[in-house]
Amino acid sequence: MTAAMLDCAGCTFFCKLKRRPYLMTIEPTELDKAVLLKVSGRMDAENAHAFEQACDQWIARGAKHLIADLGALQYVSSMGLRSFLAVAQKLQSSSGSLILCSLNGLPRQVFELTRLIGLFPVFDSAQQALATL
Amino acid sequence: MDPAARRLTLPARVESVAVFRDFVRAGALAAQVPEGALPTLDLVLEEILMNVARYAYAPETGAAEVAFAPHAAGSLTVEISDWGNVFNPLEVEPPDFSRGLAERPLGGLGVFLVRSLVSSLAYRREEGRNILSFNFPGPDG
Repeated sequence: MTAAMLDCAGCTFFCKLKRRPYLMTIEPTELDKAVLLKVSGRMDAENAHAFEQACDQWIARGAKHLIADLGALQYVSSMGLRSFLAVAQKLQSSSGSLILCSLNGLPRQVFELTRLIGLFPVFDSAQQALATL
Repeated sequence: MDPAARRLTLPARVESVAVFRDFVRAGALAAQVPEGALPTLDLVLEEILMNVARYAYAPETGAAEVAFAPHAAGSLTVEISDWGNVFNPLEVEPPDFSRGLAERPLGGLGVFLVRSLVSSLAYRREEGRNILSFNFPGPDG
């Protein structure tokens, strides 16, 4: 099991904006059957690509199932939704899945309004998600 | 818009979104918009301003203007303008929710979110400007 903190991986422009307090962090943990990605902070137009890049790196390394723990995600815009959709479509085409867990607050409202919530496996916790794999 | 409205004009670029957001946030707090609603206001501003930045002009050109004024107790009227291509977001078709994951287009959700999260969304074209106005918070606070 490995864990590392990524600070807006690949998003050099965003990270140079030191004045801006809004960041997204992605903390990956490699498990037996999936990679757990704990996503915290705000996913917006400036950094949503970092989530997709992080997922792409795990997919390239052979990950079939990704679990996004969104319990500490405070904000997601349509650019973030685009990244979630793109990753889920890639994984589905190779019989994998992007699983969401701990959705709450504004991100949950956004997934519900756009009816995306019905397109992803969604669980209350990462433990529940893992138990289905 | 109230002649006493506060206005800010910046280049229509992704880097301007955070500056506009902080500008309107300060006004929203002064107008006693509940602090818990501010992330939703951020979202609405991001969606509209990203559309302007991506589609209104040739890349790296043009400007956007954001103006706001208190509307009623705890609410704000916001107006976002650009001088670019004619674009009425109220004419955008809603997403096709019947499509499954594999067929779902990646885009097209921003305008839908804006329409869902604000009140009195209105568009007008005036003297070469696209002007989109709304009241915030929306119907669900």
